[in-house]
Amino acid sequence: MTKSRIIAVIALGIIVGAVLAFLTGGTLIYYVAHSMETNVNGWSTTLNYGEWGNDILLRAAFAQVLSAANVPEEAVYWSTTVDSTGSKLNGTHDYIMHFPAGGLPPNNAFWSLTMEDSNYLMVNNSINRYNLGSLSNLTPNADGSVDIYIQNAPPSGNESNWLPAPSGNFMLWLRAYLPGPAILNGSYQVPPVMEVS
Amino acid sequence: MPNIKHKQLLLFALVMLVVWGVGTVAYIYYYPHLIYNALDNAVINNGGGANSSVPVNTLYTLTTLASPSTHNNLAGGNHDTLYTLGVLDLSKGPQVLSVPDMGGRYYSIEFVDPWGDASYVGQRTTGTQAGSYLLSGPGWKGNLPAGMKQMAFSDNTVLVMGRVLVYNDSDLTTAYNLSKQIQLTPLT
Repeated sequence: MTKSRIIAVIALGIIVGAVLAFLTGGTLIYYVAHSMETNVNGWSTTLNYGEWGNDILLRAAFAQVLSAANVPEEAVYWSTTVDSTGSKLNGTHDYIMHFPAGGLPPNNAFWSLTMEDSNYLMVNNSINRYNLGSLSNLTPNADGSVDIYIQNAPPSGNESNWLPAPSGNFMLWLRAYLPGPAILNGSYQVPPVMEVS
Repeated sequence: MPNIKHKQLLLFALVMLVVWGVGTVAYIYYYPHLIYNALDNAVINNGGGANSSVPVNTLYTLTTLASPSTHNNLAGGNHDTLYTLGVLDLSKGPQVLSVPDMGGRYYSIEFVDPWGDASYVGQRTTGTQAGSYLLSGPGWKGNLPAGMKQMAFSDNTVLVMGRVLVYNDSDLTTAYNLSKQIQLTPLT
């Protein structure tokens, strides 16, 4: 082999190897990023931002899907696009989220439930309300439980607990800032979003 | 000489496999850096979607909560806290972070280095009283001024995200004025 031929062969090897490395690395990161959620009652959450230790793949996956999120001690997030039966959340239906007495997300700061449409944007509505939560003066039921009405039209008599939905598909975010131990140890269960028939 | 062809193929395969293997690990290892450099530049160039440049070592507070009329590029942005954004450049020396007395109000200032590791000043870690914090990069060996706590970072470039809770619509001005009092100054 001539010297120039050797250099050409090595260069080709480097180029092909680099392209394969880029594709392989990207695929691995994508796969891990989309397999690290846990699902309860239709809600998915990722409870361990920052707890990747020496796992470079897990660290990269968090950088891809949750860059600059909070560590769980600061805030925990759940999201859902489906109701309790797995059907897509859509404004042509009415839904209720029922928090049993004492079952609101435990926290030392605040919790909130935020409405977003299928483009991850908050939703215009007649009362300019984009979320409900611990700062919202929710009206409890007689037994101390709390119902949140998730629907497109105002629920007559329950406007204080109404989270306005768009007419089409939507998603929900639940946040707890400075979450309590029951959230951090995974024992707290976010209620499912139930369709009202 | 078929032998030459074999040797060439062997050399190519050897180089390719080594670069593929080492390159895959290197790409995954440095991937957080790629993401956070892009995020830092987005904040510096347009305030993370706020259409305002934010020079390094300065902080920019968004004037409103995220809502349908204010599309913000903060993925998972909330409608509860007012965001303050900036990027530290500690290569020329430490910065001093001043925070006002938040009077029990929830707030956090999150620092994220290019590896994605987060550390905090705020209610959970330091309380809500007023304070000064020395933010230093790797290798800084000065004296810590009296009354300051030190936040030592492993990198000179650090993303800063402040979140100050807004109790209700009429509280926005108060929360904004408190957020504006979160400030950076060079250590003199």
